[in-house]
Amino acid sequence: MVTRRTAIGAGLAFAAVACSAAVGASAPTTRHRREARSIDALLIDEGIEMSRSLAAFIEARRRALPVVGIELDAPGQVELMRVLDKSQGIVGVSSGATLFCLERIAWDHGFRLTARSQRCAGETGGDACREDVAAYLAGAQLPAANSTPLARAYRPSRADGMLHAWVMHKTSAPFRQSRREI
Amino acid sequence: MKLPPNVSKADFTAALTVFASIVGDQWVFTTDEDLDLYRDSYSILWGEADERTASAAVAPDTAEEVVELVKVAARYRIPIYPISTGKNLGYGGAAPAIAGCVVVDLKRMNRIVEIDERHGYVVVEPGVSYFDLYTYIQERGLKLWIDVPSPGWGSVLGNALDGGVGVTLAPYRNHFEAQCGIEVVLPNGKMMRTGMGALPGAKTWQQFKPGFGPRIDGLFKQSNYGVVTKMGLWLMPSPESFATGVVTVPRFRDIIPLVDIIGRLEQSKTVQGLWNLSSPTTGTPPFAAHEAGPPKPLDPTIAAILNNPAGVDMDQLDAAAQAKGMPFLACDFNFYGPTKLIQAQWDCVCDAVGSIPGAKFKLGEIRTMPLSPQDQATTRDLGPFGIPTLKTFDLGPMFSYEGADVVGHVFFSPVIPRTGEAAMEAMGVFAAIGRKYKLPGPPLQFPSTIFERAFLFAVGLPVTRSATVNAKIRDIIRELVAVSAERGWGEYRTAPAFYDLIMSTYSYNDHALREFLETIKDAVDPNGIMSPGRYAIRSHQRRVL
Repeated sequence: MVTRRTAIGAGLAFAAVACSAAVGASAPTTRHRREARSIDALLIDEGIEMSRSLAAFIEARRRALPVVGIELDAPGQVELMRVLDKSQGIVGVSSGATLFCLERIAWDHGFRLTARSQRCAGETGGDACREDVAAYLAGAQLPAANSTPLARAYRPSRADGMLHAWVMHKTSAPFRQSRREI
Repeated sequence: MKLPPNVSKADFTAALTVFASIVGDQWVFTTDEDLDLYRDSYSILWGEADERTASAAVAPDTAEEVVELVKVAARYRIPIYPISTGKNLGYGGAAPAIAGCVVVDLKRMNRIVEIDERHGYVVVEPGVSYFDLYTYIQERGLKLWIDVPSPGWGSVLGNALDGGVGVTLAPYRNHFEAQCGIEVVLPNGKMMRTGMGALPGAKTWQQFKPGFGPRIDGLFKQSNYGVVTKMGLWLMPSPESFATGVVTVPRFRDIIPLVDIIGRLEQSKTVQGLWNLSSPTTGTPPFAAHEAGPPKPLDPTIAAILNNPAGVDMDQLDAAAQAKGMPFLACDFNFYGPTKLIQAQWDCVCDAVGSIPGAKFKLGEIRTMPLSPQDQATTRDLGPFGIPTLKTFDLGPMFSYEGADVVGHVFFSPVIPRTGEAAMEAMGVFAAIGRKYKLPGPPLQFPSTIFERAFLFAVGLPVTRSATVNAKIRDIIRELVAVSAERGWGEYRTAPAFYDLIMSTYSYNDHALREFLETIKDAVDPNGIMSPGRYAIRSHQRRVL
């Protein structure tokens, strides 16, 4: 899954240059930020390219927890629903566009975005990105000491094509139970 | 605490308490953190005083809870705004039509109540998404297809009520026309069923649209006369095969006989699949509105003509295209059904369009359905196969307009006569306005053929986070609407910021239509609690405020 994305994507590199001012920004996003909570899955956007080192780092995480590819299509939805139903906390690496969709889908399952980093944008996932993902997986919510506040929810922006690392936690009852028939 | 308009804090607090007793505390939302997700991410009024934001949200689980909520709203005069899943970005999203309404979020009501393969219908609650319905059908191996909009994460019921459209066969593309039978909670809290559903124990609710007496289902499309809690929809039998055939014609003006010929084929039901106009010469793809962004590189000669600041000389463009041996127009037809039927339909298309000099034809592979998983993975546009996706969000980095990042779009969607002459006129009019304001997008956009008897132009205008730029876009839309109305072209759907503007153009006989709609509103919702302002319909009480 992640091994086929080994090269740095030209499109993402372009987007990263356009948004260089945002690189380094990382912040908690909700009132739940102080709690260290368990992470049940790592979600990876199948539509993005990432650096070899980040891909290798993610591959190595498979030993510890499920690593799930996100695809914004019908077969991908089935797997995504399963993960959202069963998880309390998820970490993801995705484009902003995918995060925008995923945040709304996850909202229906009781999740809220609790932290987000754009430090993955440079080099499509360099050392800083790995640090943030590692910190998120460890339950930390503040990987960067000197952080710039980000929007509470991800909104469409020029950063849509960039790489983001993020955390979501289930903070309320899910809107959508498994489908029911009368 | 944000209050609904003309509601005291005491009444609002009391109503929220009763709402919570009906649905449970956890399903009443009042914090900024929760309400933030009910903002319309594509709002053309983002961050401005006029942005339409909710005062609270409440999420019932059953139609019976909706009944109780509506009764409480009526008692306290709380304006409520039901949404199905709130994902119709570009047309309002989850936000109310006026600020301060309590959003009634119906996404918990996600039951597929009934599905009937033999008769080809489904009954759904508002929270059932296209993904839900598609997955349900696939898991059970039912021989049914759904018709999906793009993107496909929205509500099946909500999209139909909003006038949404898809891209498969004509009888299913116009989603409200495919509905058969509605259950609705009226503003007085009474539940009603339309059509045959009014007959207790009816066996044909989803089989006979006319019912007995006036057919009133249309009153619940793009309106605010109730909360629709169930809807029946006709589904398409899974086709045996699918193919795309491409016809090219050499000249721009060939669009006139081409549209007439295809119109006859559609009116006789010879052609039922969607056909799309595009231009190999100008690089205009089908569905240009969904491909908004910087134009793709073109032949330099063609590009120079297309980008002439004074306007495009179509004769010059025609001559340049012919000199290079490029067809001006391409038309791709989607065919569904047994191989024999597809081949026969294609033969009919070739016979009919063959009367245009220089027309060329190519039928693609007739593929057995369903698509294999491998084909699904490699097919960019799955809409014609009735498969929902969100890939439209993955088109690449956004662009800028007037120095502000574009974060979304708002649609201007006029309906144009189904003739080549009208299409040419509309293309010229809209292209001129696009040039005047340097709007992003292709220099020439072709009309959509989704509706059988009229063209639709779906022009996606940029939305930014700059109030100044958004104000300019609103002015451009006002100009587009006025220019269109002068020519007899009206919009079929719009974002809440433009409900009143568009309704004002439907002004025949001193606004008789609006007056009639308001008369109904006064009768069924005298307190104006139900989605006030939606599609510019208000009760007397709210008209005089």
